[in-house]
Amino acid sequence: MPDTADARRKDTAVDAVTIQVLRNKVASLVDEMHYHFYRSGYSTIIRESRDFSCVILDARGRLITPPPMFFHGTVYPHFVGRILELYAPEDIRDGDVFVSDHPYEAGVPHVSDMGFVAPILCDGVLIGFSGSIAHKADIGGTNPGSTSANSTEIYHEGLLLPPIKMCEGGEYSTDIERLILANSRQPDLVRGDIRAQIAATRMGVTRMQELGARFGADVVIGAFDAILSGAAEELQAAIRAMPDGVSTATGYMDDDGIDRDLAVKFSVTVTVAGDDIAFDFSESGPQAKGPVNLRPSMVEACVFYSLIGALGPDLHFNDGMRDVVKFVYAPRTVTNAESPAPVSSYQKANLKLVDVILEALAHFTPERAIAGSGSSGSLLVNWQQGGREGHTNLQYEIFASAYGGGAGHDGASMVATHLSNLHITPIEILESEFPCRISEFGIVPDSGGAGEYRGGAAFRRRYELLQDGLVVRRYDRAKFPSTGIMGGADGRPSRFVLVDRDGKEKDVPAAGRFELTAGEGFYLEKAGGGGYGDPSKRDPEAIARDIAEGYVTAEAAKRDYGYEE
Amino acid sequence: MADSARYRLGVDVGGTHTDLVLLNVASGAIAVEKVSSTPANPALGVLDGIGNFVAKGTPPGAIEFFSHGTTITTNALLEMRGARVGLLITRGYRAVQEVQSQARDGNPFDYFYDKPEPLAPQSMTREIGGRVDYEGNELAPLDEDAVRRAVAELHAAGATSFAVCYLFCYTNPSHELRTRELILEALPEASVSLSCEVLPRIREWPRLSTTLLNAYLQPVLVRYIGHLNRELDKGGVETRQRFLMQSNGGVMPFSAAVAGGKTVYTLFSGPAAGARASAYLAGEDAQRGIVTLDMGGTSCDIAFIEGGAPLEVTEVTVARRPLGVPALDLTTISAGGGSIAWIDRGGFLCVGPHSAGADPGPACYGKGGEDPAVTDADVALGYLNPGYFLGGAQTLDAAAAEAALRDKVAGPLGMTVREAAAGIRRIVDMRMADEVKVFAAKRGVDPQDFTLLPFGGAGAVHAAAVADELGIRRILVPPRPGAFSALGLLCTDVVHDYIRSELRPLDQVPPDHAESVYAALEERAKAELAEEGLDSAASVFERELDMRYTGQGYELRVGLSGLGAGGLDAAAMGAARDRFDDHHARIHGHAAKERPVEVVSYRLRVRVAVPKYVPVPAAEFTAAPAPKDAAKGTRAVWFDAATATETTLYERDRLPPGAVLKGPAIVEQFDSTTVAPAGWTASVDGDYNLILTREG
Repeated sequence: MPDTADARRKDTAVDAVTIQVLRNKVASLVDEMHYHFYRSGYSTIIRESRDFSCVILDARGRLITPPPMFFHGTVYPHFVGRILELYAPEDIRDGDVFVSDHPYEAGVPHVSDMGFVAPILCDGVLIGFSGSIAHKADIGGTNPGSTSANSTEIYHEGLLLPPIKMCEGGEYSTDIERLILANSRQPDLVRGDIRAQIAATRMGVTRMQELGARFGADVVIGAFDAILSGAAEELQAAIRAMPDGVSTATGYMDDDGIDRDLAVKFSVTVTVAGDDIAFDFSESGPQAKGPVNLRPSMVEACVFYSLIGALGPDLHFNDGMRDVVKFVYAPRTVTNAESPAPVSSYQKANLKLVDVILEALAHFTPERAIAGSGSSGSLLVNWQQGGREGHTNLQYEIFASAYGGGAGHDGASMVATHLSNLHITPIEILESEFPCRISEFGIVPDSGGAGEYRGGAAFRRRYELLQDGLVVRRYDRAKFPSTGIMGGADGRPSRFVLVDRDGKEKDVPAAGRFELTAGEGFYLEKAGGGGYGDPSKRDPEAIARDIAEGYVTAEAAKRDYGYEE
Repeated sequence: MADSARYRLGVDVGGTHTDLVLLNVASGAIAVEKVSSTPANPALGVLDGIGNFVAKGTPPGAIEFFSHGTTITTNALLEMRGARVGLLITRGYRAVQEVQSQARDGNPFDYFYDKPEPLAPQSMTREIGGRVDYEGNELAPLDEDAVRRAVAELHAAGATSFAVCYLFCYTNPSHELRTRELILEALPEASVSLSCEVLPRIREWPRLSTTLLNAYLQPVLVRYIGHLNRELDKGGVETRQRFLMQSNGGVMPFSAAVAGGKTVYTLFSGPAAGARASAYLAGEDAQRGIVTLDMGGTSCDIAFIEGGAPLEVTEVTVARRPLGVPALDLTTISAGGGSIAWIDRGGFLCVGPHSAGADPGPACYGKGGEDPAVTDADVALGYLNPGYFLGGAQTLDAAAAEAALRDKVAGPLGMTVREAAAGIRRIVDMRMADEVKVFAAKRGVDPQDFTLLPFGGAGAVHAAAVADELGIRRILVPPRPGAFSALGLLCTDVVHDYIRSELRPLDQVPPDHAESVYAALEERAKAELAEEGLDSAASVFERELDMRYTGQGYELRVGLSGLGAGGLDAAAMGAARDRFDDHHARIHGHAAKERPVEVVSYRLRVRVAVPKYVPVPAAEFTAAPAPKDAAKGTRAVWFDAATATETTLYERDRLPPGAVLKGPAIVEQFDSTTVAPAGWTASVDGDYNLILTREG
């Protein structure tokens, strides 16, 4: 039976230099794992979007250094925790690789995100795990591509894999692979990506074993502990400096994709008392019928992201921080859904929750207060007559929005916000590959909420269809715009507008599915960021600059700011 | 010195120092000068340095070739001192320059995010009617009145330089070309940068960004070159053979810099000269593979040379802005002699990214710096000679170094000063090695059998430790590591790059069409060479295709050398496809031979040979222990924190070819120090390189 790290852990006083050397080496290793995976990945999701993460964990599944896609980082303790519940220590062996895509058992964001975790053993001692999570092109479920805006059960979202061994003692299970591929509409892509992902995960094991052999397993374990407790101490010191108090904030999403008239409520109460900080989500709305529910792993990502942003963005995130923060949930709420509640559209829920948490935290760190931001959304066009020759008929884009204004800081305009950070597709690429014309890509004036510090402005993008197209839009913020704070105005709501052949316009919901024909078109306007503070206090020079730069019209400057040249 | 001697001069202007290398054409002898840079007017430092050579007997009229590396454009960008730019774009697309890539750079947790300041804000941007489609068909004609109005308005608002970037202009440049005519009709003196000339490549934001950079910096470069030309004339440096280093590893004549359109090629040119020197001067090593380690005051640049040539990229970021012209593929980490050691909030010892710079500099500079830097650690451990830094031009205060280490690191962490110094070195050396490993993995390169080539002031101080961590067993320290980039300026050809984007499946590209695209690019290249006064008959053209698998987001560059000598044909196009598959497999680890491939862009590189440094033939030598008079005493060196080792010191200039010395040893010279720990043997080769090899 292998010793656990805990049993072997002694007061190994690892020196400060070795700790830093190992911290840097783990960061480099994680970087190398990402690249290795990116290079060998098969689908465009891996190669181009890079929708994946690789990590190194300690023996309890605690994250040592955060991946670029930060919100995957909070998944792993849940995943490894479940493995340690299911498997006795002697059943976790060198060469094993566990797989799961189960939001309820492994805490992954949604079923499309498949996670792999492999134990790292040095001379029979478990010193940690190597892990990875990556979006799969198709894992079954109701819709092609598996993601959904209108699923009502987790079973609609793809084949569920609880944590099981995909490799045992180095032996790859072709049976499990066949089972997965039999449930996928894209078996070749999924096979290639699974194999690349396992290779990257195993690379982490091999490299860590080399470090273990070189520095000693005890030294690696001791350094991990020191790195984790260092982050905990950093955060603890920052919390100690916060004033005691209680702060509550609430916000809403337009709807859950099923009940069109029912807004989805997110609520948090933050309590700071001395060294302790607690986030209580009990007042959030009941779990939704549609796929906007969150698992606690995602709520934690939102909390740590917001807390680090509010306290000091140079804090080092790792799972040591968990020892310092308390989470409270009520059962069957949108922030603590129970199976089989659907979770596929989790990201727009994450981004609303971040706004709410930041609003509550502003009470404690007013110098980092920020108004609501514009979230992210996607556009899919399935070209019904096959698209342009030589190219796929599936056009898929992800759009940024704008940040809210903050204490002493205007919100950035037309940029990916908070947890989201993906690239836009160039117009010249889109028109070259798809039968569309993008006839406008402009600024929406007055879209940033008025305030002493203005919300960021949003963009408008207009499409003309040269073939028939099935258009799927997934977004939010049409009924509940980005909220202003401290007297600032809300940002301008988002719009999705269909345009018929005669140029007649029709506003439709922010999320939906539309069958259009050649010659028709549509345009979308992203939500602007909320404003911060009383608009009448805005620096007149800043208003004059906003007018000159086209962010604010002269009429709105007069109306919202009382400004006249 | 004989009156008839002729010289070539390389001058590399850095942030703190200007390095000059003077080559005697006949004898191959090299003289080096180092003077302080004069950032307010860099030409002054250049002339100072030339003055030093003149004072030592070189007549300026005997300089027949002048090659120059400058950071003038980079500095102007970093300090936002460029021209006031007016921007003309296609009507309806004002969001392109706002959204950019839409992704954020920097710390992902910091929601108080700011984009880089626009080079042409919306108020200096005008929308012009007119549109072409993806195949170059005109959908709406150019609104010429709108151009005239825009030029008048922007001129009134102070614009002196104009950037023009219309959608799809790379498929049909007529609207941009006509716009320039209209601008010059109104303002004959205006500087005009067209995206169809600066970067005629698909993807509107990188093209716009590159065009804006060119427009913003072109007047700065033209002014500087004009000034330098006059100063050189005044100083008696009569030669018209005046060249400027570029990021693509070649030089351009001053006339090309003044003509405009190529200003962006001078951004990022600094590291290119050092890499060129490595590839050119360490020829055999360059074939096997070289890792360069250019460690200066604030940072360390790492590049790979494989098969004799430095690796290149076609997209870099400069001051947070995309720049789409070919540049050396390098990675930079904040690990330099001035990198400051500090203790973070979690109680960990960190080194960098902050640097003490040149002023106040490390504590040992004695200019009031209180924070311990890497150089302080090197002094405290005995690697550096406090009395012989920059050839004795500067003394180092060892007591100040130790005090800073004690107060800021050793005391708080409960260590001795030597432990703190050794710890700082270990962290920095490991970080450089880790960065090499990750960079190598990203480029599909295995550096274990490579040669490590350190240069810059601090490279050779740290090279052995980095090599040990990488398993590299051979280090080549060039004769003048501190002036290596300046020497690189004398090792380059004139290189111009041209590109044309035309997205089309490879199997739908008739070979004669591809041939005609290249022919058009060659015509343009020849015309520009003629304007620059260069002989296009002496030029070599290299063709490349940017290709990708259909559906991929990004393309790879594939060289066509040896294909279609008498004009491209079907066989040549098929071979190009095979090369793409091989290249893809090498870079990305897999190829999809069954999938269709599409052409994205055609690239042409033209190379014109100019006189280059030819090292004197390697001296004959027999290996022998280093001569006694090369040893100049011993010093206590702490190779580990616990033990002082009395270590022999050598003067590099007194080591003849063939001299062999066993580590531990320290070799000192005017512009650098080489550390050879126990287990390493150093020997001088016929080219006066110091070769360190790992025993066993």
